[in-house]
Amino acid sequence: MLLGIETAAERVGVALADATGPRAGTWLDGGRRHAEVLAPAIAFVLDQAGVSLAEVDAVAVDVGPGLFTGIRAGVATAQGLAHGLGVGVVEVTSVAVLARAAYDAGWAGPVASVVDGRRGEVFFARYDGPTAEAAPPRRLPPAALAEELAGRRDLLVVGGGAHRYPEAFRGLRVAGIEHPSPRALVALAADRLAAGCAPVPAGAVRPLYLREPDARINWVQR
Amino acid sequence: MNLLGIETSCDETAAAVVAEGRVVRSSVVSSQIDLHARYGGVVPEIAGRAHVELLMPAVAEALAGAGIERPDAVAATYGPGLIGSLLVGLSAAKALAMSWDVPFVGVNHLEGHLFAPVIEEPALEWPLVVLLVSGGHTLLVLAKGPGHYRLLGQTIDDAAGEAFDKVARFLGLGYPGGPAIDRVAKEGDPTAFRLPRALMDGGYDFSFSGLKTAVVRTVERHPEAATADLAASFQAAVVDVLVAKAAKAVRDLGAAGLCLGGGVAANSLLRARAPEAVDVPTYVPSLAMCTDNAAMVAAAGAWRLANDGPSPLSLGPDPNLAFPATP
Ligand SMILES: [Zn+2]
Repeated sequence: MLLGIETAAERVGVALADATGPRAGTWLDGGRRHAEVLAPAIAFVLDQAGVSLAEVDAVAVDVGPGLFTGIRAGVATAQGLAHGLGVGVVEVTSVAVLARAAYDAGWAGPVASVVDGRRGEVFFARYDGPTAEAAPPRRLPPAALAEELAGRRDLLVVGGGAHRYPEAFRGLRVAGIEHPSPRALVALAADRLAAGCAPVPAGAVRPLYLREPDARINWVQR
Repeated sequence: MNLLGIETSCDETAAAVVAEGRVVRSSVVSSQIDLHARYGGVVPEIAGRAHVELLMPAVAEALAGAGIERPDAVAATYGPGLIGSLLVGLSAAKALAMSWDVPFVGVNHLEGHLFAPVIEEPALEWPLVVLLVSGGHTLLVLAKGPGHYRLLGQTIDDAAGEAFDKVARFLGLGYPGGPAIDRVAKEGDPTAFRLPRALMDGGYDFSFSGLKTAVVRTVERHPEAATADLAASFQAAVVDVLVAKAAKAVRDLGAAGLCLGGGVAANSLLRARAPEAVDVPTYVPSLAMCTDNAAMVAAAGAWRLANDGPSPLSLGPDPNLAFPATP
């Protein structure tokens, strides 16, 4: 049994998947209270599914990019669960989870995942198909991304960043998929495990920030 | 009963196993001082990131050090402190407790400090006056026993440790300021400059921002002043106030003992002067128990668990958590 944790955006998600695919899940408005909402959500999903934590043999977590505090709450929780259970962690990115939701919904073409990066920037990655990453995650201003994607009518744009900056993505096909979903997260992680991808040890799980911490930026600018 | 404690409220990533509420089986502290030193203070985002990397190794080391695979309960600090740091330890602690199917309990960091003497002093007698001084807090507390506290006074501006950091930075002594000033002051004359002792005649509240300003003005007036004399005069002023108020509280309230706690309790002048100022026993914690650690959190957690039961899994980090005074 795979337990997935999604806290990289405003919502808190938890889902379970077994060999047949996603089995149970919950998706809540977390506000900025990820650390309060997540543990009870995990207990709720396990309870509703009639699954005990002892049956969980891998934990999947969205490592970002996205909300720093949300990601840290999710990663620390995944680390604690995996350490306590003696199992490994499948790290997935928010941008890959967003793309997966588009493919699960039947889209077959290329996908541009755009996550709100705050401070006038977005996190972006491009996928040419369900398992093909064409452009790895990076951070840039929405206007620069708009220029890069201009005329790409074959693309489906997903993610909260596209909704935050609608003017930048005018003329492109923007899907309603806004937040990475726990269901897409466990589906993606389960496929990775089935494909032979080895989970990482609890202590080795790392958030994907894609931005230097504040103070270091100030230091460089001083 | 073995309890795993986790502390990530500021810039120390700590895990410890404490048995029967007071026997330290292991205590691991991964200090981030080197990461923050170049900025002259704790950078919240850097601290939060470091906790994520340092916590699981600290937990593994604490369990191995105690020779156990899993504890009987897990405690973690949930405030006060830096929110991005608190939520790392708190989230991990809840997850560990769930995965081991053992109780979880949240701990007030300030109450954690009050358990340092419980761990280290078998002959501890209550009521105690506790002087809790660090970079984040300056509190004078009357502790009638575990869980029964009266807040007598606190700083109205800077914390004592914050004053040490700011003055050390101003004097070019580096970070952290407490040990730097303590070291340099040993070569200086504490009577070289007359610096203010704020609120000496008032109640139990403290104020240190005027003292910092006075050091700046003294240097303006005496550019030739020796750094050692300035450091010694500053340190003497801080310690005079801390000791005078603590001693007054012991006398006024008839306490059976005085206890020091927090990072500033590592200061050598404070450690020497406090016992001389009172005629009751003074409990001066070891240096490792003065600074933030998880053993004190585990001890406080064991007491809270026994008296109040487990905390809900919905417990969130509270950066401004108040001192747990009892009516
Ligand atoms: Zn402290």
